[in-house]
Amino acid sequence: MPVVSAFLVHGSPLPFLRPENPPWKALDTGYRSAAAALAASKPDVMAVYSTQWIAVLDELWQARPRSRGVHVDENWHEYGDLAFDIRADVELTKAILAATPAFGVRSKPVDYDGFPIDTGTIIANNYLNPRGTLPLVIAANNVYHDWQTTEKLAATAVACAESLGRRVALVAVGGLSGSIIREEIDLARDRIASKADDAWNRRMLALIVAGNSKALAEACPKYAQQARVDMGFKHFAWILGGLGGRYARAKVHAYGPSYGSGAAIIEFTPVVSPAMKARPKPAVKPRSASKALSRAKRAAKAGMTRRSKPSRKPARRKVAARSAKRSARTTRRAKR
Amino acid sequence: MTKGRIVAGFLAPHPPHLVYGENPPQNEPRSQCGWEQLRWAYERARKTLDELKPDVLLVHSPHWTTQLGHHFLGVPHLKGKSVDPIFPNLFRYEFELDVDVELAEACCAEARNAGLVTRMMRNPGFRVDYGTITTLHMMRPQWDIPVVGISANNSPYYLNLGEGLGEMDTLGKATRRAIEKTGRRAVLLASNTLCHWHFHQEPLIPEDMSQEHPQTFDGYKWDMRMIELMRRGETQELFRVLPQFIQEAFAEVKSGAFTWMYAAMGYPNIPAELHGYGNVIGTGNAVMEWNLERYGGNLPFNERPIAA
Repeated sequence: MPVVSAFLVHGSPLPFLRPENPPWKALDTGYRSAAAALAASKPDVMAVYSTQWIAVLDELWQARPRSRGVHVDENWHEYGDLAFDIRADVELTKAILAATPAFGVRSKPVDYDGFPIDTGTIIANNYLNPRGTLPLVIAANNVYHDWQTTEKLAATAVACAESLGRRVALVAVGGLSGSIIREEIDLARDRIASKADDAWNRRMLALIVAGNSKALAEACPKYAQQARVDMGFKHFAWILGGLGGRYARAKVHAYGPSYGSGAAIIEFTPVVSPAMKARPKPAVKPRSASKALSRAKRAAKAGMTRRSKPSRKPARRKVAARSAKRSARTTRRAKR
Repeated sequence: MTKGRIVAGFLAPHPPHLVYGENPPQNEPRSQCGWEQLRWAYERARKTLDELKPDVLLVHSPHWTTQLGHHFLGVPHLKGKSVDPIFPNLFRYEFELDVDVELAEACCAEARNAGLVTRMMRNPGFRVDYGTITTLHMMRPQWDIPVVGISANNSPYYLNLGEGLGEMDTLGKATRRAIEKTGRRAVLLASNTLCHWHFHQEPLIPEDMSQEHPQTFDGYKWDMRMIELMRRGETQELFRVLPQFIQEAFAEVKSGAFTWMYAAMGYPNIPAELHGYGNVIGTGNAVMEWNLERYGGNLPFNERPIAA
């Protein structure tokens, strides 16, 4: 099981764009604390599922090596822009594309300049992968896929990652209760839209933390319906599918409102298998441009330029001497 | 200032396949052919638009979905690349359009005064949705008429259908008042498909028309029934069965553009002209025209659908 960490996070841009707003501060802080936990787990890739990337034909996977731009949310355009720079793990994505037909799901790669990456994916990446050092696998939310299919997609993504030796951070982007506030409010007074929704959210968070799988399995469908949960809470299916249906513990980093709807940052600790306990060597990560730059800066600071840095190659005389010695040994063996 | 008026309304669906089939220079992907009957239907609609010479095109699109109220494009000039998230293989379109901001602001204010939550979209980096772009391209590929782009608030899906379409009715009437006060000659574009049952897999060659057909027989029958009611001008019956149509045919008119347009026009009992009907990945699409200009602006304004 190559999953080293897992997170269920919200995809609202509001806390990111207005972190100082009191009702959103906790969500902002919680996301940053989750980011630290993700970094500490040392993944090679983030496997992301976002409820906001809608698909209706086939399952779509982001396969463009790099997508950059500035996104404006269609709802919250007045709050500002969202710059993004996202790299895809193309090798792993291709492996997943080849694997999903085995359980009846046709997958398609998406590799187009200007493709509208959804707000949820951008927010999750900006918070959890702020330096862009991790590549992503990004799966769409096909609205016709049910809970079980979504679990299988995650499980397949994880299995493919394992075959390639990747350590995976699973990330499911979606909200909790879906009732919204439909009139203008003082942002400082944002709240969960109804007491019933708040009660449901808190109950589910408690069940998730308790890890009672039987109770969770019973509660999820009722919760999804009664609290109008974002996309039927399928993003939780992504987490469960990727974790093999179980986790060692869960921690709620934050819970709060996003213009009435429920939002949370939840961290899941995978059950560690004996194989993982042996800490397999992480896959070699491509050196990021930022790391290369900082290395160059450090070298410059130490007064060593490209020209003055000592060469790793031994001096010509020493190489010649070693060659001569090698030749002499060969001659002595030949004589024997 | 002369009192403005709505000179025509069009049902102007937005499957990006139509742009793809046309191969315009703004669209990156190239097709061999496809959906000719619907594209020719749009050619007929374009002819009318040419004759009408409107000052502005207003388009209500289901692919700009908003949660907090009804939004209006409010930047004078917008450009960018519109890529369809569901059909990026077919639609990657470099758009550039002018917005009639004065009219948009008037619509926004009238709708707010009528009790709706409204917003102006002032972010110059905003990417216009592909539904708006497709409808506008198919109606006026010259892009020489300013537009007002209107979002589809999610009220018909979030509230019950009656409440949701009630908001669209209010929005339509507010739109009409804004047009009258600003003196515009306006054309309304309801960017909606009819029956929206659709394929779940795309044909290997998207433009292979041997694969194109209605997704369901019942959906097709519903479309024909609704089109016939529109062709006869039986507006009251049309709106009486609209909820059932939406329920049974998964009709995209649920998103509100159709009701918005009809409410703005005053629920006229005039026959609509069908320019053409066709299927796109199984959905039913009709290009239809209500030419109010032919009646010289003398049509009674009905607050709700009534019998002729």
